[in-house]
Order: sequence, then structure tokens, then C-alpha cells
Amino acid sequence: MNAERTGDTANLDPTARLALGELLLSMADDEFVIGFSDSEWTGIAPLLEEDVAMSSLAQDEIGHAKALYELLAGLLDDGHDADAIAYDREPPDYRHCRLLDHPRGDWADTIARRFLYDTADAVRLEAVASASWAPLAELVGKIRREERYHVMHVGAWLERLALAGGEARVRLEDALERLAPDAATVFAPLRDEAALVAGGILAAPMNDLEARWRTMIGPTFERLRLTPPPPATEPERGRLDHTAAFEWLHSEFTSVRRLDPAATW
Amino acid sequence: MTDPLSLDPVLSPQERGRLPFNEDLPHDERFEHFEAHVLAGGKVESTDWMPDEYRTGVLRFVEMHANSELMGVLPEREWLMRAPTLRRKLALTAKVQDEVGHAQLLYRVAEDLGKPREAMFDDLLAGKTKFHNVFHYPTRSWADIGVIAWLVDAAAIVAQQALRDSSYAPYARTMKKICWEESVHIMHGRDVVVTMVTGTDEQRAMLQEALDRWWGPLMQMHGPRSPREKDRDLHWRIKAKTSEELRQEFLTIYVPRILELGLTLPDSELRRDDDLGEWRYTEPDWQELRTVVTNHGPKSQERLEFRRVSREETRWVRETILRAAGAAA
Repeated sequence: MNAERTGDTANLDPTARLALGELLLSMADDEFVIGFSDSEWTGIAPLLEEDVAMSSLAQDEIGHAKALYELLAGLLDDGHDADAIAYDREPPDYRHCRLLDHPRGDWADTIARRFLYDTADAVRLEAVASASWAPLAELVGKIRREERYHVMHVGAWLERLALAGGEARVRLEDALERLAPDAATVFAPLRDEAALVAGGILAAPMNDLEARWRTMIGPTFERLRLTPPPPATEPERGRLDHTAAFEWLHSEFTSVRRLDPAATW
Repeated sequence: MTDPLSLDPVLSPQERGRLPFNEDLPHDERFEHFEAHVLAGGKVESTDWMPDEYRTGVLRFVEMHANSELMGVLPEREWLMRAPTLRRKLALTAKVQDEVGHAQLLYRVAEDLGKPREAMFDDLLAGKTKFHNVFHYPTRSWADIGVIAWLVDAAAIVAQQALRDSSYAPYARTMKKICWEESVHIMHGRDVVVTMVTGTDEQRAMLQEALDRWWGPLMQMHGPRSPREKDRDLHWRIKAKTSEELRQEFLTIYVPRILELGLTLPDSELRRDDDLGEWRYTEPDWQELRTVVTNHGPKSQERLEFRRVSREETRWVRETILRAAGAAA
């Protein structure tokens, strides 16, 4: 069924084209929001060395978001550039997953969130790495090279906190209790995702990707004697309902731009 | 721009051992040899013998610089969440990251002189050591981000370029890397400034208001005039230029660039005296400088308290790491 890999979307039917837009928006919003969460540590991380590392992660994620928004802007071709898509929507119109809607929290929350997200994102990226739409496949190739290091970095921290016992272990377990129930929302079903699978953009339905992710992280959770993430409640709303924490973030990142949305900043 | 990799060659341990002040001589003879070495332009490495006065002087100087990089993160950090475009968000995150990285490099230089990093944080937060005046002020608008990255960093780089030849070699090497990165910050800052100056009337007014507010602290930043012969940091060649030389250099380079953008400066006395070959200006408010750097500035206590709280909140992480390192040793 796979269409030949090409840079234009003319061979996609209108449903698949819309679904591609949804996919790009969900991936971009995820990277955008987690990039902001990471950069909340800039200047106040537990160690100066880790501070520099978190800023690098933030730049990678915002860079990925920017590239994905640019692809989306090209696809939609409706006069909105990447910045307009990133900044000029109201909170309910963002499509990041519920996992990323929690406030920054402590260092254990950050490690838990990053581990859950980075591993899930890795599975999602693998599933679009051979997308029939060449611009996406090329971009994802580049993103995956960077994300590999994110998984290594956060994996080392997860292990360190889990094996340390004492306060570190307790904080990690608490963080997982808060965040893990929302982890599977990275795989919240997309509208018309069947068209993406049929069009050769997504290798498998989100449900299957979630199963792959669980197989991938299972051994780590078992070895560290941590409870694996439960299924998400209301997965179909996994990217729709945003919290007060995101409303705060939204009010921050739009505050300068909204002084004059028409101006160049 | 200096190539950060063009570092001075380091003498082998055997060669350094042959420097007379590293030989087993009576203290006064060592002192004389050391002083002669430094005054002739010689470099000092962390493993060299050095007089207490020199060690203390370098440590105090580098520690204040490190503190300033660390505290300098906070005024800009407040705007990391508010950067108005993806490109600005990336540039500001990279810039603030650089400042944290500079703090880390400089604290390492200071650590080698014998003071542990945690002790330096303790002293900073207890108000026993200082940080630069400009980081005690509030940031009120996005225009501040442009003014800080362009002009505060420019005033800093004028001083820092003169430190690339510091007699203390580890500091001089670090300054080469830092100066190179700071020059990138200046380009980012200037781009923010130019974008606003050429933007709407409101943006231009916002920028002018920020410049008016920052001019006083900028003029105070290098400190009051002091006689060259009394300055021990100059004597030991830890630094190369007096406060007034640095201020004059800053004015020479940046006043024309500021005016060229159609901006004005809030000092009616400011002009170049061609006969004297120097800038005349209204005497900066040195009382304000003293008040601010002793942690009585508008944001001093709030920023120190913010650091105290965040340091306490993350203490468990450092203790976890240290325990694991201790167990592995």
C-alpha cells in the first residue's frame, strides 16, 4: 500500500492530509511544551553540569518543535508561519499529550516525565522514520540522532534515583505515581490515523505503538522494581483537556508576543 | 574573535619545576622570584608555588566573576518563558546556558585555588562575597533582554578581553573561551535591539526606556577611578586595565553604535573631548554602586533568596549523587 516516498502530498487523499496535519501538530506541541518544561530548570538545576545539560535538551526540543511547525506550515500553506502556529493559539487548541500537562515539579518529576516521554517518543519516531512523505522522514532521521542521547541521559538518572534508595527512591516513586497514569497519552489515537497507516506515513496504529513501548520499557521497570505505567484513562481525550499548569505556561510564553501580535520581535 | 583553541602552550612539570619560585628556597627568596616572574609577563599555573597574597587575590577576583555569571542568569531567566518567537527562545536559552557554563568553568578555576564550590555558594548566599552591580536590578520588559545581551555583555567583554592575558594562566585560558561566547551574545542582543528600534513606535519606546534605565548601572559597572599604583590586582597582573580605562573603551566603541540607531543617552554631559582624547560624562552615582553591591539593590535580596530556596529544594539530588560516589569509591 505504501506510496512511493515523495516530497509532495498530492498522492495523499484529503483525509490522510488532514490526519498528517494532526500528527505533525501533536508531535510539535509535545516537543514545544517539554522544551519549555526543561528550560524551567535553566539556572536552578541541582548541579551546574546538569543545568547546562537541561538547557541543551530544551534547545533540542524547541528546535525539533520549530522544524515540525515549519513542516506543518508548509503543509497547511494558509499564511501562518511556524511562530504563528506555535504561539497564536488559545490553550484548548494545543495538542500536546496529558503527560506534559503536569507542572514542572521536582527533579524526580522531571526525570520521570522525561523517561516516560522520551521512550514513548522514540517508539513514535521509529514509526514515522520511513514515512512515505519525504520531508517528514528526513526530519525524523535528524531528530532521532539527537533523541538517542536524551534517552541515555534520562535512563542513567532514572536508574540512579531508583537504586539510591531513601529519599531519592521515594521521590521517584511519588513522581511516577503522579505522571505514569498519563504516560500512554503520547499514543492517544489521532483522528483518522487509519488513513496515515494506509498512506504509508505511520507504520502502525497508535494502539500498536503503545504495546511496542510497553515491551520496550518493561524490563527497565522490572529490573528497578518500579510499577509499570497503567493504561491511560479516556485515551481519546489524551490530547484535548489541558490543565491550569499549561494555562500558566501559555500566559507566559504569549505575554510578550501579545503586546503586539503584528509586530516583528 | 579569538579562536578558543589557540591556547598558550603549557610547560611540562619538569620545566615548571625549574622555575626558581618552585624550588625549595626560603619564603622571601621565592616571593622575589615569583614577583619578578609575574612582573616580567610570566604565567602562573595552579600547581605552582604562589604567595598567599597572590592566591587570595586571584581567588577573590575569579570567585566574584563566577558569582556574577551565576547570579547574572536570574534576570534573563525570567524571560526564558516569555521569548516571543521560536528563534528568540532558542537564542536566549543558549545564551543563559552559556552563562551557567561560564559559572561552572570559573568555579572550577577557583576550586583549584583551594576553596570548595559549596563553600563559595555558601558565602555568596550569606552575602559574604559579591556579584556585579548590574545583576541586582530588575528586568521590566523584553527590551531589557536586548539591552542586557548587547550592552551589559559588551561592557563585560571589554573587561574580559583584558583578562585573556591574566598572569593566572587557568583564568586566562578560560577567558578566551568565555570571550568568544560573549561575542555571540552581543550579536544576539544587538539583533533584538535593532529589531525593536526598527519596529513599531511602542517597541522603540520600550527599548529607549530600557536603555535610559540601564545607563546608570552601566556607567557604574567598571567601578570608580582608582590610582593604578595602589591596585594590587594590577600589580600582580591578574587584570590589565583600570576601571576608567575600561569605561572609556566601552564608551568609545558603544556610544557611536547606540546613537547610530537613533537612540539617545540620558546624560547631557556625555561627549568626547578630542583635546583630552577621552569621554566626559556626569559623575556616576558611586553611592548607588556601593549600596547595590552590598546586596541592598532593588533585587538583591529577592534573587539571593530565590537561589537559597532552589538550592535547598535540590539538595537531596546532590546528596544522592555524593552518596553514590562515596559508595563507589
